Amino acid sequence: MRRNRRFYLSVLLVTMVMILGFATFCMASGGGNVPVPQPEGNTPAFGNLYAIGWSAVNFLILLALMYKFAYGPINNMLEQRTNAIEGSLKHAEEVKLEVEQMRKETASNLAESRKEAQEIVARATKAAEESKNEIMAKAKEESTLIKNKATAEIQAATEQAKLELKDAAVSLAILAAEKVLNRAINDDDHKNLAKQFVNEAGDLLC
Amino acid sequence: MIFGMWDSPLFYLGPIPVDHLIVTEWVIIAFIGIIAMTATKNMQMVPKGLQNAFEAIILWTYDFFTQLMDKESVAKKWAPLLTTFFLFILLSNYSGLIPGAARIEGFQPPTSNWNVTMTLALITFFAVHIAGFSEHGGHYFGHFVSPSWAMLPLNLIEEVAHPLSLTVRLFGNIFGEEMVIAYLLFMAPFVVPSLIMALSLLLGAIQAIVFTILSASYIAAAAGEGH
Repeated sequence: MRRNRRFYLSVLLVTMVMILGFATFCMASGGGNVPVPQPEGNTPAFGNLYAIGWSAVNFLILLALMYKFAYGPINNMLEQRTNAIEGSLKHAEEVKLEVEQMRKETASNLAESRKEAQEIVARATKAAEESKNEIMAKAKEESTLIKNKATAEIQAATEQAKLELKDAAVSLAILAAEKVLNRAINDDDHKNLAKQFVNEAGDLLC
Repeated sequence: MIFGMWDSPLFYLGPIPVDHLIVTEWVIIAFIGIIAMTATKNMQMVPKGLQNAFEAIILWTYDFFTQLMDKESVAKKWAPLLTTFFLFILLSNYSGLIPGAARIEGFQPPTSNWNVTMTLALITFFAVHIAGFSEHGGHYFGHFVSPSWAMLPLNLIEEVAHPLSLTVRLFGNIFGEEMVIAYLLFMAPFVVPSLIMALSLLLGAIQAIVFTILSASYIAAAAGEGH
Protein backbone atom coordinates (compact mmCIF):
# COMPACT_ATOMS: atom_id res chain seq x y z
CA MET A 1 0.00 0.00 0.00
CA ARG A 2 2.74 2.40 1.01
CA ARG A 3 4.84 1.38 -1.96
CA ASN A 4 1.86 1.91 -4.26
CA ARG A 5 1.31 5.37 -2.85
CA ARG A 6 4.92 6.30 -3.44
CA PHE A 7 4.69 4.93 -6.96
CA TYR A 8 1.56 6.93 -7.77
CA LEU A 9 3.10 10.08 -6.29
CA SER A 10 6.20 9.62 -8.46
CA VAL A 11 4.06 9.11 -11.56
CA LEU A 12 2.04 12.22 -10.68
CA LEU A 13 5.20 14.28 -10.18
CA VAL A 14 6.76 13.10 -13.45
CA THR A 15 3.50 13.82 -15.31
CA MET A 16 3.29 17.31 -13.83
CA VAL A 17 6.90 18.06 -14.74
CA MET A 18 6.34 16.78 -18.26
CA ILE A 19 3.23 18.97 -18.63
CA LEU A 20 5.24 21.91 -17.29
CA GLY A 21 8.07 21.14 -19.75
CA PHE A 22 5.67 20.80 -22.63
CA ALA A 23 3.93 24.06 -21.79
CA THR A 24 7.32 25.79 -21.52
CA PHE A 25 8.35 24.32 -24.84
CA CYS A 26 5.11 25.53 -26.48
CA MET A 27 5.63 29.04 -25.08
CA ALA A 28 9.28 29.08 -26.14
CA SER A 29 8.55 27.86 -29.63
CA GLY A 30 5.69 30.31 -30.04
CA GLY A 31 3.01 27.68 -30.45
CA GLY A 32 4.98 24.85 -32.01
CA ASN A 33 7.43 26.65 -34.36
CA VAL A 34 10.34 24.22 -34.29
CA PRO A 35 13.19 24.79 -33.75
CA VAL A 36 13.06 27.10 -30.75
CA PRO A 37 15.25 30.14 -31.46
CA GLN A 38 18.75 29.92 -30.04
CA PRO A 39 19.30 32.17 -27.03
CA GLU A 40 21.99 34.71 -27.64
CA GLY A 41 23.41 37.83 -26.06
CA ASN A 42 25.27 38.89 -22.94
CA THR A 43 24.68 38.51 -19.25
CA PRO A 44 22.48 41.21 -17.67
CA ALA A 45 24.16 44.55 -17.09
CA PHE A 46 25.56 44.87 -13.58
CA GLY A 47 24.93 48.01 -11.62
CA ASN A 48 21.54 48.93 -13.02
CA LEU A 49 20.77 51.46 -10.32
CA TYR A 50 17.12 51.69 -11.24
CA ALA A 51 16.70 47.91 -10.87
CA ILE A 52 18.57 48.04 -7.55
CA GLY A 53 16.47 50.93 -6.29
CA TRP A 54 13.19 49.38 -7.38
CA SER A 55 14.13 46.02 -5.90
CA ALA A 56 15.09 47.60 -2.58
CA VAL A 57 11.83 49.55 -2.44
CA ASN A 58 9.83 46.46 -3.47
CA PHE A 59 11.51 44.30 -0.85
CA LEU A 60 10.92 46.87 1.87
CA ILE A 61 7.26 47.10 0.80
CA LEU A 62 7.03 43.30 1.04
CA LEU A 63 8.64 43.42 4.48
CA ALA A 64 6.14 46.07 5.58
CA LEU A 65 3.25 43.99 4.20
CA MET A 66 4.53 40.93 6.04
CA TYR A 67 4.80 42.90 9.28
CA LYS A 68 1.31 44.30 8.80
CA PHE A 69 -0.48 41.16 7.66
CA ALA A 70 1.63 38.27 8.93
CA TYR A 71 3.96 38.92 11.86
CA GLY A 72 1.81 41.51 13.61
CA PRO A 73 -1.46 39.53 13.64
CA ILE A 74 0.29 36.21 14.27
CA ASN A 75 2.34 37.61 17.17
CA ASN A 76 -0.82 39.19 18.63
CA MET A 77 -2.69 35.93 18.23
CA LEU A 78 0.16 34.00 19.86
CA GLU A 79 0.13 36.41 22.78
CA GLN A 80 -3.66 36.10 23.07
CA ARG A 81 -3.39 32.33 22.89
CA THR A 82 -0.68 32.29 25.56
CA ASN A 83 -2.86 34.46 27.81
CA ALA A 84 -5.90 32.28 27.12
CA ILE A 85 -3.95 29.11 27.90
CA GLU A 86 -2.52 30.62 31.08
CA GLY A 87 -6.01 31.75 32.08
CA SER A 88 -7.43 28.32 31.36
CA LEU A 89 -4.70 26.61 33.36
CA LYS A 90 -5.28 28.97 36.28
CA HIS A 91 -9.02 28.41 36.07
CA ALA A 92 -8.45 24.64 35.88
CA GLU A 93 -6.30 24.85 39.01
CA GLU A 94 -9.03 26.76 40.83
CA VAL A 95 -11.68 24.30 39.69
CA LYS A 96 -9.46 21.45 40.82
CA LEU A 97 -9.13 22.96 44.28
CA GLU A 98 -12.88 23.56 44.40
CA VAL A 99 -13.57 19.99 43.37
CA GLU A 100 -11.15 18.73 46.01
CA GLN A 101 -12.94 20.83 48.61
CA MET A 102 -16.31 19.53 47.44
CA ARG A 103 -15.03 15.98 47.48
CA LYS A 104 -13.93 16.38 51.08
CA GLU A 105 -17.28 17.89 52.01
CA THR A 106 -19.13 15.10 50.26
CA ALA A 107 -17.05 12.45 52.00
CA SER A 108 -17.72 14.08 55.36
CA ASN A 109 -21.46 14.38 54.59
CA LEU A 110 -21.54 10.77 53.47
CA ALA A 111 -19.93 9.58 56.70
CA GLU A 112 -22.39 11.65 58.70
CA SER A 113 -25.34 10.33 56.71
CA ARG A 114 -24.15 6.78 57.16
CA LYS A 115 -23.89 7.31 60.90
CA GLU A 116 -27.36 8.83 61.02
CA ALA A 117 -28.77 5.98 58.94
CA GLN A 118 -27.23 3.47 61.31
CA GLU A 119 -28.74 5.31 64.25
CA ILE A 120 -32.14 5.37 62.57
CA VAL A 121 -31.97 1.65 61.83
CA ALA A 122 -30.91 0.89 65.40
CA ARG A 123 -33.73 3.03 66.77
CA ALA A 124 -36.26 1.40 64.47
CA THR A 125 -35.05 -2.07 65.39
CA LYS A 126 -35.35 -1.27 69.06
CA ALA A 127 -38.86 0.17 68.63
CA ALA A 128 -39.92 -2.86 66.61
CA GLU A 129 -38.57 -5.18 69.32
CA GLU A 130 -40.41 -3.26 71.98
CA SER A 131 -43.57 -3.24 69.94
CA LYS A 132 -43.25 -6.97 69.33
CA ASN A 133 -42.82 -7.70 73.04
CA GLU A 134 -45.77 -5.51 73.92
CA ILE A 135 -48.00 -7.19 71.36
CA MET A 136 -46.89 -10.62 72.54
CA ALA A 137 -47.60 -9.76 76.16
CA LYS A 138 -50.99 -8.35 75.30
CA ALA A 139 -51.85 -11.39 73.20
CA LYS A 140 -50.79 -13.70 76.00
CA GLU A 141 -52.90 -11.79 78.50
CA GLU A 142 -55.91 -11.84 76.21
CA SER A 143 -55.54 -15.54 75.52
CA THR A 144 -55.33 -16.22 79.25
CA LEU A 145 -58.47 -14.18 79.83
CA ILE A 146 -60.30 -16.00 77.05
CA LYS A 147 -59.15 -19.35 78.38
CA ASN A 148 -60.25 -18.51 81.91
CA LYS A 149 -63.60 -17.29 80.69
CA ALA A 150 -64.07 -20.39 78.58
CA THR A 151 -63.16 -22.63 81.55
CA ALA A 152 -65.61 -20.83 83.76
CA GLU A 153 -68.33 -21.12 81.17
CA ILE A 154 -67.62 -24.82 80.72
CA GLN A 155 -67.75 -25.33 84.45
CA ALA A 156 -71.08 -23.46 84.76
CA ALA A 157 -72.49 -25.44 81.85
CA THR A 158 -71.35 -28.68 83.48
CA GLU A 159 -72.98 -27.76 86.80
CA GLN A 160 -76.16 -26.82 84.98
CA ALA A 161 -76.13 -30.09 83.07
CA LYS A 162 -75.59 -32.02 86.29
CA LEU A 163 -78.57 -30.35 87.95
CA GLU A 164 -80.78 -30.99 84.94
CA LEU A 165 -79.68 -34.57 84.85
CA LYS A 166 -80.44 -34.92 88.49
CA ASP A 167 -83.98 -33.62 88.02
CA ALA A 168 -84.51 -35.92 85.07
CA ALA A 169 -83.25 -38.89 87.07
CA VAL A 170 -85.59 -38.02 89.97
CA SER A 171 -88.57 -37.97 87.64
CA LEU A 172 -87.46 -41.26 86.10
CA ALA A 173 -87.01 -42.89 89.49
CA ILE A 174 -90.45 -41.84 90.59
CA LEU A 175 -91.96 -43.32 87.53
CA ALA A 176 -90.01 -46.53 88.03
CA ALA A 177 -90.99 -46.76 91.69
CA GLU A 178 -94.64 -46.27 90.87
CA LYS A 179 -94.43 -49.08 88.43
CA VAL A 180 -92.74 -51.36 90.96
CA LEU A 181 -95.09 -50.57 93.81
CA ASN A 182 -98.09 -50.31 91.65
CA ARG A 183 -99.36 -47.53 93.78
CA ALA A 184 -98.98 -43.95 94.24
CA ILE A 185 -96.56 -42.99 96.74
CA ASN A 186 -97.02 -39.94 98.82
CA ASP A 187 -94.87 -37.01 98.58
CA ASP A 188 -92.63 -37.87 101.44
CA ASP A 189 -91.90 -41.34 100.25
CA HIS A 190 -91.48 -40.04 96.93
CA LYS A 191 -88.93 -37.57 97.81
CA ASN A 192 -86.98 -39.88 100.01
CA LEU A 193 -86.80 -42.54 97.45
CA ALA A 194 -85.86 -40.21 94.72
CA LYS A 195 -83.16 -38.62 96.74
CA GLN A 196 -81.72 -41.89 97.66
CA PHE A 197 -81.74 -43.04 94.09
CA VAL A 198 -80.36 -39.88 92.73
CA ASN A 199 -77.56 -39.81 95.16
CA GLU A 200 -76.60 -43.31 94.29
CA ALA A 201 -77.08 -42.76 90.58
CA GLY A 202 -75.30 -39.41 90.77
CA ASP A 203 -72.31 -40.98 92.38
CA LEU A 204 -72.24 -43.51 89.66
CA LEU A 205 -72.71 -40.92 86.92
CA CYS A 206 -70.25 -38.30 88.08
CA MET B 1 16.74 40.98 -25.14
CA ILE B 2 19.68 38.97 -23.96
CA PHE B 3 19.89 35.22 -23.65
CA GLY B 4 16.18 35.09 -24.20
CA MET B 5 15.64 37.41 -21.25
CA TRP B 6 14.30 40.92 -21.01
CA ASP B 7 16.91 43.46 -19.98
CA SER B 8 15.53 46.71 -21.35
CA PRO B 9 12.97 48.83 -19.49
CA LEU B 10 9.38 47.77 -20.01
CA PHE B 11 7.98 51.26 -19.49
CA TYR B 12 8.81 54.56 -17.83
CA LEU B 13 7.13 55.77 -14.68
CA GLY B 14 7.81 59.44 -15.25
CA PRO B 15 11.56 59.62 -15.72
CA ILE B 16 12.15 56.29 -13.93
CA PRO B 17 12.51 53.20 -16.10
CA VAL B 18 10.69 50.09 -14.92
CA ASP B 19 12.28 46.80 -15.94
CA HIS B 20 10.42 43.60 -16.72
CA LEU B 21 11.73 41.92 -13.59
CA ILE B 22 10.39 44.78 -11.44
CA VAL B 23 6.89 44.03 -12.69
CA THR B 24 7.42 40.34 -11.81
CA GLU B 25 8.56 41.44 -8.35
CA TRP B 26 5.32 43.36 -7.95
CA VAL B 27 3.31 40.29 -8.91
CA ILE B 28 5.27 38.14 -6.42
CA ILE B 29 4.82 40.74 -3.67
CA ALA B 30 1.10 40.98 -4.42
CA PHE B 31 0.83 37.17 -4.35
CA ILE B 32 2.57 36.87 -0.95
CA GLY B 33 0.65 39.87 0.38
CA ILE B 34 -2.73 38.47 -0.69
CA ILE B 35 -1.99 35.07 0.86
CA ALA B 36 -0.84 36.75 4.10
CA MET B 37 -3.95 38.96 4.16
CA THR B 38 -6.27 36.04 3.48
CA ALA B 39 -4.57 33.87 6.09
CA THR B 40 -4.75 36.46 8.84
CA LYS B 41 -8.06 38.13 7.90
CA ASN B 42 -10.24 36.41 10.48
CA MET B 43 -7.78 35.15 13.03
CA GLN B 44 -9.27 32.42 15.21
CA MET B 45 -8.08 31.32 18.62
CA VAL B 46 -8.02 27.77 17.31
CA PRO B 47 -6.31 28.03 13.90
CA LYS B 48 -7.77 26.26 10.87
CA GLY B 49 -6.98 25.95 7.17
CA LEU B 50 -4.81 28.67 5.64
CA GLN B 51 -4.32 30.44 8.99
CA ASN B 52 -3.03 27.20 10.46
CA ALA B 53 -0.61 26.61 7.57
CA PHE B 54 0.63 30.20 7.61
CA GLU B 55 1.08 30.23 11.39
CA ALA B 56 2.93 26.92 11.16
CA ILE B 57 5.36 28.36 8.59
CA ILE B 58 5.99 31.53 10.61
CA LEU B 59 6.42 29.63 13.89
CA TRP B 60 8.68 27.09 12.23
CA THR B 61 10.94 29.88 10.96
CA TYR B 62 10.97 31.45 14.44
CA ASP B 63 12.04 28.12 15.93
CA PHE B 64 14.55 27.50 13.16
CA PHE B 65 16.28 30.87 13.56
CA THR B 66 16.18 30.58 17.35
CA GLN B 67 18.09 27.32 17.10
CA LEU B 68 20.55 28.87 14.66
CA MET B 69 21.26 31.96 16.74
CA ASP B 70 22.62 32.23 20.26
CA LYS B 71 20.02 34.62 21.57
CA GLU B 72 16.30 34.13 21.24
CA SER B 73 15.69 37.88 21.32
CA VAL B 74 17.94 38.36 18.28
CA ALA B 75 16.20 35.51 16.47
CA LYS B 76 12.77 37.00 17.18
CA LYS B 77 13.95 40.39 15.99
CA TRP B 78 15.45 39.21 12.69
CA ALA B 79 13.25 36.21 11.83
CA PRO B 80 10.68 38.32 9.94
CA LEU B 81 13.37 39.71 7.63
CA LEU B 82 14.90 36.28 7.05
CA THR B 83 11.52 34.62 6.43
CA THR B 84 10.64 37.37 3.97
CA PHE B 85 13.98 36.77 2.22
CA PHE B 86 13.14 33.08 1.99
CA LEU B 87 9.61 33.55 0.63
CA PHE B 88 10.66 36.23 -1.87
CA ILE B 89 13.66 34.31 -3.18
CA LEU B 90 11.76 31.01 -3.34
CA LEU B 91 8.91 32.49 -5.35
CA SER B 92 11.35 34.45 -7.55
CA ASN B 93 13.30 31.28 -8.31
CA TYR B 94 10.14 29.30 -9.05
CA SER B 95 8.70 32.07 -11.20
CA GLY B 96 11.34 31.13 -13.79
CA LEU B 97 9.75 27.68 -14.10
CA ILE B 98 6.31 28.98 -15.02
CA PRO B 99 5.72 28.58 -18.76
CA GLY B 100 6.26 31.88 -20.52
CA ALA B 101 8.85 33.18 -18.07
CA ALA B 102 11.34 35.51 -19.80
CA ARG B 103 9.22 35.33 -22.95
CA ILE B 104 6.10 37.25 -21.96
CA GLU B 105 6.66 40.99 -21.50
CA GLY B 106 6.95 41.96 -17.86
CA PHE B 107 7.67 38.40 -16.76
CA GLN B 108 11.28 37.69 -15.82
CA PRO B 109 12.43 35.82 -12.73
CA PRO B 110 13.95 38.57 -10.52
CA THR B 111 16.71 36.40 -9.03
CA SER B 112 18.13 35.69 -12.50
CA ASN B 113 19.37 39.28 -12.52
CA TRP B 114 22.27 40.14 -10.28
CA ASN B 115 21.07 43.66 -9.60
CA VAL B 116 18.25 42.06 -7.61
CA THR B 117 20.44 39.50 -5.83
CA MET B 118 22.87 42.30 -4.98
CA THR B 119 20.05 44.35 -3.51
CA LEU B 120 19.08 41.44 -1.30
CA ALA B 121 22.72 40.87 -0.32
CA LEU B 122 23.10 44.57 0.51
CA ILE B 123 20.03 44.40 2.73
CA THR B 124 21.68 41.46 4.51
CA PHE B 125 24.94 43.46 4.75
CA PHE B 126 23.18 46.37 6.47
CA ALA B 127 21.09 44.05 8.62
CA VAL B 128 24.27 42.30 9.85
CA HIS B 129 25.88 45.55 10.96
CA ILE B 130 22.69 46.95 12.44
CA ALA B 131 22.25 43.70 14.42
CA GLY B 132 25.88 43.80 15.62
CA PHE B 133 25.72 47.46 16.58
CA SER B 134 22.35 47.17 18.34
CA GLU B 135 23.54 44.19 20.38
CA HIS B 136 27.06 45.34 21.27
CA GLY B 137 27.00 49.11 20.77
CA GLY B 138 30.38 50.68 20.10
CA HIS B 139 32.21 47.47 21.02
CA TYR B 140 30.93 45.95 17.79
CA PHE B 141 33.51 47.85 15.76
CA GLY B 142 36.23 46.15 17.78
CA HIS B 143 35.77 42.97 15.77
CA PHE B 144 37.20 44.69 12.69
CA VAL B 145 40.59 44.84 14.45
CA SER B 146 40.29 41.44 16.05
CA PRO B 147 42.54 39.74 17.01
CA SER B 148 44.96 42.60 16.07
CA TRP B 149 45.13 45.75 13.94
CA ALA B 150 47.02 43.80 11.32
CA MET B 151 43.86 41.84 10.56
CA LEU B 152 41.86 44.96 9.64
CA PRO B 153 42.29 44.59 5.85
CA LEU B 154 41.37 40.90 5.93
CA ASN B 155 38.36 41.58 8.11
CA LEU B 156 37.21 44.32 5.74
CA ILE B 157 37.64 42.00 2.76
CA GLU B 158 35.57 39.41 4.60
CA GLU B 159 32.82 41.95 5.18
CA VAL B 160 32.72 42.70 1.46
CA ALA B 161 33.06 39.05 0.48
CA HIS B 162 29.91 38.09 2.33
CA PRO B 163 27.44 40.13 0.27
CA LEU B 164 29.42 39.48 -2.86
CA SER B 165 29.25 35.73 -2.39
CA LEU B 166 25.53 35.94 -1.62
CA THR B 167 24.97 38.01 -4.78
CA VAL B 168 26.96 35.83 -7.14
CA ARG B 169 25.83 32.48 -5.71
CA LEU B 170 22.13 33.17 -6.06
CA PHE B 171 22.43 34.95 -9.38
CA GLY B 172 24.80 32.34 -10.82
CA ASN B 173 22.61 29.41 -9.87
CA ILE B 174 19.32 30.83 -11.06
CA PHE B 175 20.68 32.52 -14.18
CA GLY B 176 22.65 29.36 -15.01
CA GLU B 177 19.56 27.22 -14.54
CA GLU B 178 17.51 29.52 -16.78
CA MET B 179 20.24 29.41 -19.42
CA VAL B 180 20.51 25.63 -19.29
CA ILE B 181 16.76 25.29 -19.76
CA ALA B 182 16.76 27.85 -22.58
CA TYR B 183 19.60 26.06 -24.43
CA LEU B 184 18.07 22.62 -23.85
CA LEU B 185 14.76 23.86 -25.27
CA PHE B 186 16.71 24.96 -28.32
CA MET B 187 18.65 21.69 -28.62
CA ALA B 188 16.31 18.89 -27.52
CA PRO B 189 12.61 18.06 -27.39
CA PHE B 190 10.65 18.98 -24.30
CA VAL B 191 11.43 15.76 -22.37
CA VAL B 192 15.05 16.69 -21.64
CA PRO B 193 14.34 20.26 -20.47
CA SER B 194 11.55 18.83 -18.33
CA LEU B 195 14.06 16.75 -16.37
CA ILE B 196 16.22 19.80 -15.76
CA MET B 197 13.12 21.72 -14.72
CA ALA B 198 12.37 19.01 -12.16
CA LEU B 199 15.90 19.49 -10.86
CA SER B 200 15.32 23.24 -10.84
CA LEU B 201 12.44 22.78 -8.40
CA LEU B 202 14.98 21.40 -5.96
CA LEU B 203 17.63 23.96 -6.90
CA GLY B 204 15.28 26.90 -6.39
CA ALA B 205 14.37 25.75 -2.88
CA ILE B 206 17.99 25.00 -1.98
CA GLN B 207 19.20 28.42 -3.13
CA ALA B 208 16.45 30.17 -1.15
CA ILE B 209 17.39 28.16 1.94
CA VAL B 210 21.13 28.75 1.45
CA PHE B 211 20.72 32.51 1.07
CA THR B 212 18.48 32.68 4.16
CA ILE B 213 20.66 30.47 6.35
CA LEU B 214 23.84 32.31 5.37
CA SER B 215 22.19 35.65 6.11
CA ALA B 216 21.00 34.26 9.44
CA SER B 217 24.46 32.98 10.31
CA TYR B 218 26.06 36.36 9.44
CA ILE B 219 23.52 38.11 11.65
CA ALA B 220 24.06 35.52 14.39
CA ALA B 221 27.83 35.97 14.16
CA ALA B 222 27.54 39.76 14.39
CA ALA B 223 25.00 39.73 17.23
CA GLY B 224 26.46 36.73 19.05
CA GLU B 225 28.79 36.56 22.02
CA GLY B 226 31.93 36.37 19.86
CA HIS B 227 32.24 40.14 19.62
